[in-house]
Amino acid sequence: MNAAKRRWVPYLFLSPYMLFYAAFGLIPILFSFYVSLTSWDGIGPKTFVGLDNYAFLFNPDSYFFQSVGNTLLFVAVSLPLQMAFGLAIAALLYSKFVKWKAFFQLINFLPYIVTPVAVGLMFNLLFDWQAGFVNKVLLEFGFIDEGIYWLGEPLYARVVIVLMLFWKGFGYTMIFYLAGLANISKDLHEAAAVDGATGMKAFWTITLPLLRPVTTFVAITGIIGGFQLLEEPMLLLGGAGMGSSSAVIGGPERCCLTTVWNMYDTAFGSTTRYGLGSAIAYGLCVIIAAFSFIGTKFYKEET
Amino acid sequence: MSTSTRTVIATTGIALLSVIALLPFYIMVVMGTYRNEDLFTQIVLLPGDYVMENLKTVAASRFDLAYWNSIVVSAISTVLSVFVSAFAGFAFAKYEFRFKSNIFAAVLLTMMIPGQLGLVAYVIEMRYLNLSGSLMPLILPWVANAFGVYWMTQFIRGAVPAEVIESARIDGCSDLGIFFRIVLAFIFPAVTTLSLLVFLWSWNNYLLPLIMINKPEMYTIPLGITTLGSAYRTDLAAQILGLSLGTLPVLVLFALGSKSFIRGLTAGSVKG
Repeated sequence: MNAAKRRWVPYLFLSPYMLFYAAFGLIPILFSFYVSLTSWDGIGPKTFVGLDNYAFLFNPDSYFFQSVGNTLLFVAVSLPLQMAFGLAIAALLYSKFVKWKAFFQLINFLPYIVTPVAVGLMFNLLFDWQAGFVNKVLLEFGFIDEGIYWLGEPLYARVVIVLMLFWKGFGYTMIFYLAGLANISKDLHEAAAVDGATGMKAFWTITLPLLRPVTTFVAITGIIGGFQLLEEPMLLLGGAGMGSSSAVIGGPERCCLTTVWNMYDTAFGSTTRYGLGSAIAYGLCVIIAAFSFIGTKFYKEET
Repeated sequence: MSTSTRTVIATTGIALLSVIALLPFYIMVVMGTYRNEDLFTQIVLLPGDYVMENLKTVAASRFDLAYWNSIVVSAISTVLSVFVSAFAGFAFAKYEFRFKSNIFAAVLLTMMIPGQLGLVAYVIEMRYLNLSGSLMPLILPWVANAFGVYWMTQFIRGAVPAEVIESARIDGCSDLGIFFRIVLAFIFPAVTTLSLLVFLWSWNNYLLPLIMINKPEMYTIPLGITTLGSAYRTDLAAQILGLSLGTLPVLVLFALGSKSFIRGLTAGSVKG
């Protein structure tokens, strides 16, 4: 093959990716931006409204900032729990005293890979008012006199969501901490042991500081991933029919409405406001971009 | 304290902590083995004896169709995504061309963009192409996978020796032939990892099918699970058994491949 022909080869290898990304990634993103500048129900005529949809995001009726606040709250409470617990399990698994490491690692990782829809439904079952395991146990031991309406009270519903996210997520932080621990040189611990730092002291003064890049990475990806939260609260509270009586958007008083749930409901759920739905998506993207930007700066400083 | 005492304490400790991870699964499985009425009256801790009856109820809902649809969607998504990613990764790893670093940076940047950004227009696009109501809309977004390109580029760079490619070229092998006969053989571990990841992402996807699919015979597993409630509104036990059947087999499958899977997830987080 001659040289002129060869120059095209890498572009040929790239072309399937580029074509598919353009057709089903880039074009929808650009067209969504145009849609966000219109008022449109997807069927009738489009009306160009400029930035009205974006202005409406600041109106409490759009629930945009409420949903962002809810999502941030869930992440802010559950992520530190996930990280502390994940680190504790990883440190135990990494110590030379634990047997059947691979087995325990797998067990604790299982909640992370189970279908998110099922996570929401499982916790719906656990915290069901009548048939739920949690109420039954509390009643049995006499902690309460009648079942708690977990999913009907804003505060309790939020507690259940945090517990659910914690349960689902600690295995994820665990595998990152395990990877980080495996990366710390053994010599360092031996040197520390010679100097008298062992056990907990070595953990706090040597291991933990060395794990800081991992901690930062897990925090950033946890926040970004957390912003895309949808299925778990939706199925927990949305009432797919599993025990719960009525389908309320976002749970009681919309206290658990997440941003993506809000977008889904605006464009494809209780209303078909495609323009506003697209504006919510762009608003969310801006917020995620801001967090990614700050996070990447942190990460670069530390590594 | 002797080493063996410490081993017993540490292992017991981790076993107790692991109960947290397992308990919701266990309760789900156990609840599916009881008669519906019993779920409301007693705490169920040990498996019951009503599982066959519940199984009959679940089998009547054509749950197998949802399995089949999910397998088709995830398998096609995975194969396409892995090939497209490996092609692009090969180009980035083993060729020099203009704007290479800019294009690579652009691909990485798209990894940061949340998948929901183009969702509204994607749905309209699918309607316009007459694809809504088919399984195609659930496959197409996975084909161009930025993480896959990143993953394959890194792997091919390290795993495929330049001399092997060079000698194949001297022997008259075409570039496509080099990819299929040589590169693919070297990157088998990367293919496994990426396949598992894409398969799981696609399998767990709920939002797209929720919007695009309206016929029950086209439901994928996540949709099938959520509609169990409306299928037998009064039979909670059957719903729960359906939930177990819809989640646990795949979980077991992934448990078998978890090592390779975790390697992919943690890629890039830790230097070295």
